[in-house]
Amino acid sequence: MRYAFFLGCVMPVKYPGFESATRVVAEALGLELVDLPFSCCSAPTLMRLVHYDSWLALAARNLALAEQEGMSILTVCNGCTNTLKEAKQVLENDPGLRKKVNGILEPWGKEFTGEAEVKHLLDVLRDDVGLEAIQGRTEKELTFRVGCHYGCHFFRPPRIMYPDRLSPSKHFLPTQMDEILGAAGLNPVQYNRRLLCCGSGLGTKVDLDAANQITREKLSHMADKQVQAICVGCPSCFEQFDRAQVLLNRKDDCNYEIPVFYISQLLGLAFGVAEEKLGFSQHRVKVTSLLNG
Amino acid sequence: MKRPDIFNEELLYECYQCARCTGSCPAAFAVEGFNPRNILLTYLRLGVEEVITDEKLWCCTTCHVCEDRCPQLIDVADLLTSLMNEAAKQGHIPEKVRSSAETLLRTGRALLVSGRVDQIRKKLGLKPLPEVPVEEVEGILEKTGLTDLIG
Repeated sequence: MRYAFFLGCVMPVKYPGFESATRVVAEALGLELVDLPFSCCSAPTLMRLVHYDSWLALAARNLALAEQEGMSILTVCNGCTNTLKEAKQVLENDPGLRKKVNGILEPWGKEFTGEAEVKHLLDVLRDDVGLEAIQGRTEKELTFRVGCHYGCHFFRPPRIMYPDRLSPSKHFLPTQMDEILGAAGLNPVQYNRRLLCCGSGLGTKVDLDAANQITREKLSHMADKQVQAICVGCPSCFEQFDRAQVLLNRKDDCNYEIPVFYISQLLGLAFGVAEEKLGFSQHRVKVTSLLNG
Repeated sequence: MKRPDIFNEELLYECYQCARCTGSCPAAFAVEGFNPRNILLTYLRLGVEEVITDEKLWCCTTCHVCEDRCPQLIDVADLLTSLMNEAAKQGHIPEKVRSSAETLLRTGRALLVSGRVDQIRKKLGLKPLPEVPVEEVEGILEKTGLTDLIG
């Protein structure tokens, strides 16, 4: 199984530990990750809002790059996943826009053809690697109560993210992360507001303190269910949960200390990978007492 | 304000102002005065100029829960996206957003890269941060018109 590895901006720059964890886990599961000269995806919370045409053209360039190599794209960030899937759908359904965008890419020898699939790591793990292989690779028993946070751009809007898996009411409720963690022996628990926003999109653009109030609401429901670890599949959601706890404790007299993990880190731990490879030093809410306790 | 490629404007007239979008909206919960239902109504009644100068427009987290829950199947988040595009065109861009867009234009990434990144990467056994072909990204964004808008 070979994929073009779409790192995005946040993971390699802010959280290289997640990149390291993902590469180690991918190798353990027989996935080959190929690095290509991608740029910013570009972000659905930034460029799509500022200038739609620029958002579409950059996404088309990234898609075309993987198409040239004949590979599917593996994404590790919800924003990248949303942008690349949506841009692909828009360009496939609108020949006029596609012609215009391809005219822009032409001087750089690129053309969007629509041949590259875009898959988030969670879908690759569940569907391409499979739960049995994950279970088979698991060595260490981790018994934490994990609160899964999927993040909005992973599955919304469902007409764009999972058009082939819609319910009769045209919705899609993700279960991939719970299934993967369950296969690796962890204990994912249900909590209220599980599928709602972390707040990141508000904090990065306008008002971080207000964004943290959105996060606080989610954290309170996680605490109600004695969640001991939060699992995310997006580095922006990670940053929001990790940073918000520190800021809420400081400014709002809260007392949250729930470590946040990127999915590859939890799998790495379950697979018995050395902690140095999993990059916990960038975490603001420390993982030590949970892992050693 | 005709962007059929972003959303279907005709659909907005199906809105009966039930405010489920706003009751479901995380940003409306956290920011007083941000109200997607009201933005939609004001836009339809008074026009685009009335809704694009207020920076609160940019509070939308783009979570799309509004669309998920709208009984009339209106893409409220896409309406807001379209309005933000229009606001940007007229020079109303929040500072943080402008600064990220500039960084993207200049470096091909939406984040500034600190000098320590490669040190941290090396410690983890990772290669240095991959190069982004900046000239190509800049060339594309000049053609799409971002350079004129931001630069």
